[in-house]
Amino acid sequence: MTAILMALDSIKEKKGRSFLTMLGIIIGVCAVLVLVAMVTGYNSDITSYYEKLGVNKVEISIDYYLSSRSPDVTDELYEYGNVDMSDIVTGVTPDLSTTGTVIYKDDNLDTTIYLGSDQFSTCNNYTLAKGRDISQADIEGRTKVCLLGTYVAETLFGQKSPVGETVQINGASYTVVGTYYQKDGTAEDSMDDMVVIPYSLNREVLGSSVISSYIVKVDTSNDMDAAIEELTTWFADEIDEYTGEVTLENGNSDLTSSTEETASLSAILGGIAGIALLVGGIGIMNIMLVTVTERTREIGIKKAIGAPRSEIVTQFLVESAILSAMGGIIGILLGFALSLIMGKILYDLILFPSTAITIAGFLFSIAIGIGFGLYPAVKASGLQPVDALRAD
Amino acid sequence: MSLIKIENVFKIYGDEGCENEVRALDGVSLEIDYGEFVAIIGSSGSGKSTMMNMLGCLDVPTRGEYYLDGIPIRERTERELSDIRSRRIGFIFQGYNLIPSLTVWQNVALPMTYQKVNPGDRYQRAIEALEKVDIASKAENRPTQLSGGQQQRVAIARAIATKSPIIMADEPTGALDSKTGVQVLGILRQLNEEGTTIILITHDNGIAAQAKRVIRVQDGRIISDSAPGDDPFIMSQTKKEVASAVGDGTTPSGALRVENGRAAWAGARAGGLTQ
Ligand SMILES: Nc1ncnc2c1ncn2[C@@H]1O[C@H](COP(=O)(O)OP(=O)(O)OP(=O)(O)O)[C@@H](O)[C@H]1O
Ligand SMILES: [Mg+2]
Repeated sequence: MTAILMALDSIKEKKGRSFLTMLGIIIGVCAVLVLVAMVTGYNSDITSYYEKLGVNKVEISIDYYLSSRSPDVTDELYEYGNVDMSDIVTGVTPDLSTTGTVIYKDDNLDTTIYLGSDQFSTCNNYTLAKGRDISQADIEGRTKVCLLGTYVAETLFGQKSPVGETVQINGASYTVVGTYYQKDGTAEDSMDDMVVIPYSLNREVLGSSVISSYIVKVDTSNDMDAAIEELTTWFADEIDEYTGEVTLENGNSDLTSSTEETASLSAILGGIAGIALLVGGIGIMNIMLVTVTERTREIGIKKAIGAPRSEIVTQFLVESAILSAMGGIIGILLGFALSLIMGKILYDLILFPSTAITIAGFLFSIAIGIGFGLYPAVKASGLQPVDALRAD
Repeated sequence: MSLIKIENVFKIYGDEGCENEVRALDGVSLEIDYGEFVAIIGSSGSGKSTMMNMLGCLDVPTRGEYYLDGIPIRERTERELSDIRSRRIGFIFQGYNLIPSLTVWQNVALPMTYQKVNPGDRYQRAIEALEKVDIASKAENRPTQLSGGQQQRVAIARAIATKSPIIMADEPTGALDSKTGVQVLGILRQLNEEGTTIILITHDNGIAAQAKRVIRVQDGRIISDSAPGDDPFIMSQTKKEVASAVGDGTTPSGALRVENGRAAWAGARAGGLTQ
């Protein structure tokens, strides 16, 4: 207790020097907190992007060697996915798109036209808001129906419900049968800037009957590998090596690799911040060595009148621990402020350093104070009283 | 078993055998018993402080053995040594050695914290000790605000407040006027009568005469060790000094020298010395 008061006294006595000593710790702790918060922000940004896009997708693309002799496996794949693999697969759709112009009365809009099955929305994480989804009857009958993303719906219809209205897509008339909920901010070029029509209209819309990309939506990420394996076997039977080459990709791997990237990035940044903390620690050791030299005489007197070594060690350790703890606290406050500001600017998120990192940063700064204060403290306590007394 | 026993102790500064060699202690042997009142006297640079620092466990001899309570100091652990410094010895330094960042009473109370004296009692005991040397009025001051003599009295208070069984005083009256010096000696003598072992350094024959035993040091060696009455240097001087301290101008007879030394002290006390 008295040791703490004494340490505070001596820190107060040389405010400027104490502050400069703390600066290393302040910067180190602050940097660690802000970096971790920013990486967290970046990760959640990326993750939410991929989640909006739809996770657990097996992306299949087929490179047919001869387009004229390419078989159409769409129906077989649909059936295989929905019957044979129904325990792990939740949807199958061709993955086709083009750009097109949608016209309603006097308004027109360039947007992305997707051609999908009745499971398009399941596969791509769209949720039906109004009306109905594409049906199997639409696909079989090549009915000219469409569903609108919120951006298209709002731009062309405003507050009015588009369901039942007729729009022109690339010159042909389509009946709007439904709309989706907003999932990406209802902005131009967002995931809400889109229209879906039955894939069976592909010959008319795309000018080709060949379907060479599919999405198979798997229930959980744990089943992804099993699904890919099963689909690979199935495709090997359907499309032999003379017909074409099938590529199956795990749609989660983009997310995984970008998460891995940020992990290694944060490791590097963390390392840099760690070096800042280390330098801060050396600063503390340096200043404590100076303090020991300055107070050699005081140490001599104390030892001469009976202070045990532990007393002297404690005195200096407490001082360096308080010094670094104060630095840690200031660093944490600064780190919170900076995280908030930068999170707002970079990701438009309210970002706080996590509690675990904050506590770890605080404890680490104290540990640095004790670790680097130990040498000067032990050095001070080991002086022969008479030698210490002779110092001036 | 005696309290203190040193055997053929050397303290050598510089490189032994070279030109810069200083033999501050040059083969000293000495025994001091429990309850003694010893004065160590010698000219400046004769090795008195060196010897005292060693006796006070503040320094270690280059060679030779030091037994305290019959146990060689070399065998003591660091912990035991600080315990000895804190509980066995009250040390009055030649250079006062007060801590400037602490107030006067805190300085006096500091050794008590190492003795684990109950915190509530420390202030009281510090003030009592300061009162004994008439400096309690400065209890809240910093040592730097005090005169040399006042600082010396604080240093004395710090040593006596420890209530240690041994007091080692290195020129405790060096910065004091003769009246205050006599008062301090009175305190030391009273402590001695209560059983405290006193070892006192001085270069003043008059003060040495107040002790029960006088050890004379020269060039790092003990050249005489006797009762003050038998010390060749004290004989002539003491008469005058004792007489002037009492202030009656009479010269005690040779046979009563030592007795008169005590009488002088008693008289001074009875007279109620003040600052
Ligand atoms: N640290 C040291 N290094 C070198 N020589 C020293 C050291 N300390 C003391 N000496 C020498 O040892 C000798 C004895 O010194 P000491 O301090 O014991 O003298 P003293 O009898 O106490 O003198 P004084 O009456 O002036 O206090 C002196 O010659 C001194 O120069
Ligand atoms: Mg001396």
